Amino acid sequence: MDRLSHPVTVALLVIVGVLMLGANFMVFLYAPDERVMGAVQRIFYFHVPAAMVAFASTFVMLGASIAYLWTRRRIWDNLARSATELALLFCALVLVTGPIWARPAWGVWWTWEAKLTTTLLLGLLLAACVLVRSYADSAEKGARLASVLGIVAALDVPIIYRAVDWWRGQHPVVFGPGKKDPLAPEMRNTLSFCLLAFLSLYALLLLLRTRIACHEDRVQDATEMLGARGESA
Amino acid sequence: MTRGGRPPGPGFLRACWIVAAKDLRLEGRTLDALSSMVLFSLIVLTVFSFAFDLTTVPSARLVPGVLWTTFAFSGVIAFARSFQTERIRDSLTALILSPVDRGALFSGKALANLVLVLVLQAVLLPLSAVFFGYDLPAVAPSLVFVVLLHTVGIAELGTLFAAIAARVGRGEALLATLLFPFSSPLLISAVKCTSAVLEGKPLAAVKPWLLVAGGFDVLYFLVALVTFEYVLED
Repeated sequence: MDRLSHPVTVALLVIVGVLMLGANFMVFLYAPDERVMGAVQRIFYFHVPAAMVAFASTFVMLGASIAYLWTRRRIWDNLARSATELALLFCALVLVTGPIWARPAWGVWWTWEAKLTTTLLLGLLLAACVLVRSYADSAEKGARLASVLGIVAALDVPIIYRAVDWWRGQHPVVFGPGKKDPLAPEMRNTLSFCLLAFLSLYALLLLLRTRIACHEDRVQDATEMLGARGESA
Repeated sequence: MTRGGRPPGPGFLRACWIVAAKDLRLEGRTLDALSSMVLFSLIVLTVFSFAFDLTTVPSARLVPGVLWTTFAFSGVIAFARSFQTERIRDSLTALILSPVDRGALFSGKALANLVLVLVLQAVLLPLSAVFFGYDLPAVAPSLVFVVLLHTVGIAELGTLFAAIAARVGRGEALLATLLFPFSSPLLISAVKCTSAVLEGKPLAAVKPWLLVAGGFDVLYFLVALVTFEYVLED
């Protein structure tokens, strides 16, 4: 899995490319206009999958952080680090696409509503994890502290959601227990397809980022070895 | 955590008590953290009274937010201090070398921090009743319960994050960056409960919030017990 031209990478790249193109086709040509909101509702097909990926990635971070503290194998930290950064990336996508939709639909760019607040706080927690990792003076210490923080952060997310949901709520709840499926079949197909496309994009990015982190480790090791040899000579 | 057989040091509760008593004795002799905490929170309260006109808005609306912001900010001073003092003569290394469970070290530190913040609150709550004109004696029992329940969680997270911040060599700035977003559910709950208490509602009216806060306290105590070991390791 070392080279970028590795068959698995190339295959994934092709799959993601096709899926993303297909997703764009479905979002803009296949899905019907929403009755009330019109064309701006189409941002939903990017917004929702990005949010799902951001939260999924947070739980990848949780799993990888626990695995790192348990086994101390650097591959787990590389995975945790990549998952943290990607969760932050997708979180940023959610926070950018949300207001673009909210402005025409709600009349405001931002409101302190449960899902918005939770996503913003999730972004802050993830940024804190990235920050601590970069502040640490050794990679090992950064990995350890960021793993602890990652575990605390991932456990915090459901509690934050519960708390801000009670605090206030106005976000449209599209899916929920006891709700009739409100989406037209074309809309549902488009959403499912976009979710698949985003998940495969996430898988590809996670693979590439983790591999880069492993390469960085090797460069670091090699530099330290050369340094040690230089000192002894 | 020694492998093979019982650790030769004191038991969990005893170790926790020794660490907490050491920190509190140190604080009692120097009043280092407490003096700056009290002074700082007085300044924050004054700044708030400039920022919002507290005389025109009913106290139950603004006072909870003002109080908890003040507690959280001055808590940061106490939490950061508790590990800075250990770094000066590298006594943290001595603590780490001592044959006690890491969880006990955490509990001791958190207990001392909790006591410090509680002392600050004991000074600040009567003062705020004077400043903002609410009837403290009437709400005292429920208010004390609410404050205690939420301060426990803040002290736990604050202690864990202060250790992390100290480990990466950053002080209060990083601690505040970590503490506030992570403890947001607790702060929301604290403000909701305090405001209900000041409005004269019974505690039963905010039972879900109290459960969230209690659950938060227990969850993060357990998480910190398990993870503190990894934070201290060098």
